[in-house]
Amino acid sequence: MPASIKVQEQFGDDVQVIFVECQGTEKNTYEAFSWKMKWRGNNAIWTNERVIPTVGRGLPEVALIGVDGTVLLQGYPGDFGKELEETLALEVKKAKDAPAGTPATLKKAWGAFAKGDLAAALAECDKVAGDDGAKARAEFVARTEARIARAERLLDGGDLSEADELISSLAKSCKGSAELAPKVAVLATKLASPELAAEREAAKAWSSFVGKVAKDKPFDGGNVKKAEALAEKHKGTKNGARAAHFAELSKINLNR
Amino acid sequence: MKNSNWRLTASALALAGVAWLASSMPVVEGEKVDFSFREAPINAAGIKGMADLRGKPILIDFWGKN
Repeated sequence: MPASIKVQEQFGDDVQVIFVECQGTEKNTYEAFSWKMKWRGNNAIWTNERVIPTVGRGLPEVALIGVDGTVLLQGYPGDFGKELEETLALEVKKAKDAPAGTPATLKKAWGAFAKGDLAAALAECDKVAGDDGAKARAEFVARTEARIARAERLLDGGDLSEADELISSLAKSCKGSAELAPKVAVLATKLASPELAAEREAAKAWSSFVGKVAKDKPFDGGNVKKAEALAEKHKGTKNGARAAHFAELSKINLNR
Repeated sequence: MKNSNWRLTASALALAGVAWLASSMPVVEGEKVDFSFREAPINAAGIKGMADLRGKPILIDFWGKN
């Protein structure tokens, strides 16, 4: 477990770690446990839904899904030795490179896309006649549209600090793209709207609180009081509700 | 009336069973993973399923609190 936390914190946004609780523990209980163990304050996500079935007879078990969406390794982490670490590093690199078998004519397009210049990547695709150019173009658009859809959900969920970061990155990436830049502009306008002013302020306070407490006695009495004060100050916002939920989690008896 | 209710219930159970079997089928190495969360994960930050993570390596850690 701490090894996967380390992976998430080391690779940041280049890797997604998903923790799947497999012993039927109640959601609030394992959420409280994750705070108590100082495993939060990063991008890892937590669920009890098995994204894929387990293959071993016990826990822990890990699975690595590659950039092409296929399972590369799965089993008891200790059995992999350095293989897991090395394969992961290779996949992180692969995510920034053109996929294997990409024609030389499209390498420039993949290079531009990796640098975040979607418009240049699409322009390069359009220079390549036939299926290859069209296929790469469709892949770039699909990946970017998935990020745009995610930014929309971040806005709806009140995750405005993350939304701000993603929308800024998308705005840079999509600049000059007639098909995608307008969609990003709509999101940027929504993010800056007066209706979201209270949520923006609450999101800033919540992010700052998490940054301070995640690795330093999260459920310490003083921190819980700060969470309650944050919840009170930002009542009626999604981030205020998060702070209230955090304070509630601190009351769960984890020794049962 | 009672019979048709039973038939409906039995059909629903059979469908649920097929869905459960499909979801518990092992994914072999090299097979593409396609999954959408029924309930938003904790700290999901907008991630609803594998489609949102397209092109990114994913490490799944199966663990237990106890």
